[in-house]
Amino acid sequence: MRVDVVRVPTNFLPKLTAARFFLLTVLLIFFTLAGLANGGVLIPLPDLLMGRATDLQEIVFLEIRSPRVFLAGFVGASLALAGTVLQGLFRNPLADPGLIGVSSGAAVGAITMIVLGASFSIPVWLLPYTMPLAAITGAIGFTLLLYSFAKYFGRFSIVTILLVGIAMNAIAAVIIGLLQYISDDGQLRTLVFWLMGSFGRAQWSTSLPAMFVMVVASTYLIGQIRNLDYLQLGEAEAYFLGVDVPQAKRNMILWSAAAVGAGVALTGIIGFVGLVVPHLARLLLGSSHQVTLVGSALIGATLMILADLVARTVMVPEEIPVSLVTNAIGAPFFLWLIARASRV
Amino acid sequence: MRYKLTALLLFMPCQLFANSCQQPAVDPSRVAVAGGSVTEMIYFLGEEHRLIAVDRTSNYPQEARLLPQVGYVRALSAEGMLSLEPTLIMGEDDMGPPEVIAQLERTGVEMVRIPESFTPQGVIDKLRCVAKVLAVDSHQIAIAEAKLAASLQQLEAISFSKPKVLPTAAVILVFSEGSPVAAGANTAGDGLIKMAGMRNALSAIDGWKPLSAESLIEADPEYLILTDRAVAAAGGLDKVYENPAIRLTTAGRKKQLLQMDGMALLGFGPRTLDAAATISTLVRK
Repeated sequence: MRVDVVRVPTNFLPKLTAARFFLLTVLLIFFTLAGLANGGVLIPLPDLLMGRATDLQEIVFLEIRSPRVFLAGFVGASLALAGTVLQGLFRNPLADPGLIGVSSGAAVGAITMIVLGASFSIPVWLLPYTMPLAAITGAIGFTLLLYSFAKYFGRFSIVTILLVGIAMNAIAAVIIGLLQYISDDGQLRTLVFWLMGSFGRAQWSTSLPAMFVMVVASTYLIGQIRNLDYLQLGEAEAYFLGVDVPQAKRNMILWSAAAVGAGVALTGIIGFVGLVVPHLARLLLGSSHQVTLVGSALIGATLMILADLVARTVMVPEEIPVSLVTNAIGAPFFLWLIARASRV
Repeated sequence: MRYKLTALLLFMPCQLFANSCQQPAVDPSRVAVAGGSVTEMIYFLGEEHRLIAVDRTSNYPQEARLLPQVGYVRALSAEGMLSLEPTLIMGEDDMGPPEVIAQLERTGVEMVRIPESFTPQGVIDKLRCVAKVLAVDSHQIAIAEAKLAASLQQLEAISFSKPKVLPTAAVILVFSEGSPVAAGANTAGDGLIKMAGMRNALSAIDGWKPLSAESLIEADPEYLILTDRAVAAAGGLDKVYENPAIRLTTAGRKKQLLQMDGMALLGFGPRTLDAAATISTLVRK
């Protein structure tokens, strides 16, 4: 039925790109190890492997440090991947996961739980999961609302999605503002820190389910290489090339929301990674989605592990919010991108 | 009012059985503290040699600021805390976030939450709880309790001359964008006002809230109690008096603004009793 006019080569990478992929993978492994080896508590990895570490060192490594390093990697990869997919889908280099309401939706869910959680009767076994569940419910709820509004108002065109996204973010801001107003002193401080984002709250019991969701969603998104490449030609062109455009748009948005929502639910809002990493990936690897999707996931994971490492070691025994680090790296890089674009 | 307070005082100690204040810590030799009033209590008991780290709200006494910092009381870092190798972590009721507390619990480090209630008895209970956990010797406890009792006596002596109609007051924590963030019911500020023998002009609202100029004028407190931080941030007392929200209240017209260190006012550590006594004396003049 479908005729492939433009056949994207699927099992061939230019040598240079392959070398860069190899380098990125090495970097990811290196920083994962660096993340695992460094922190407030001195834990020499050789001792740990030989079983010579103290009980405390072992618990800190297994229960505190490992979950946060891996969660950082997964969240970084998911944010970057979702960013790449959305920039491709919207054919807009300024798109980021915040645009489809997923981050602000997660914030609405989490903050509702922070402020009103005490007034719900929640069984004790569910308590550790209530915040992440509320956040992911908010993330998916807001994205679904965005989807239905955009479909209802403008046949789900890109412009409508962008505009509805702005409106949804404004609605989220209103709800968050209202909740902030009725919150007490303690809740207010909790929610401010939640909004700043941190991997310090990572625990296996909540991280593993989130990682599972992120892996499933990311696998789906990486499978969209061909659709995304075709969509770069324009929606009509993609349609004639055999892409079921409305379905592709809907699925990509919902799976991006799942990938981002699962992470944000645990970590709070983390800025700039979803926006900047896709650009970095295109800069290093070229603009075919065959390379940018996996590439941005690799870069996102590496940068996030590095940012978290900086956040938790630069001021030991204190810890700075990780989004301060990502914004501090991301904002100047973004300016540089603008300068570079305006010079060309 | 009196009866209510007495009833509260009778009720408070019962609540204490629900927490771990009843037994001394296994090893209180290296203590990390999250919460300014707990740090003050430890200094008050003369047990500061045990301190290895404090949080950012622990800014009194001066020496406490020289200790390693574990960050903000509600945004602690598990590994950062553990890097200092504490044998005991003592914290304010609201230390967190909960996930980090759970991480710390899993490492087996002993942790004690000191309960808080915004009454004079709450201050005494806090002292007793800290003393119990640190296994302070009875002589030192007696000295500390005597000091608190003296403050309390002073406070009670003043409130004997209580007028029929209590003067109203409001506590302002800070000005956010010009609008005062003030203490409603169920706050340390509310407790302080009651302790000082006054009535909270803002008891209709709950918690700390940013107020519009109009609602503060409507509540019309006769006295305003401000933290040093709020005054400094506003640019001095003169500037505070110029603020329309303040100027049009009775407190503003009669220049009845009181200014004090925030932790002394609201920490409900040992200094809060004295702060309340000072305010009470000034008001009765």
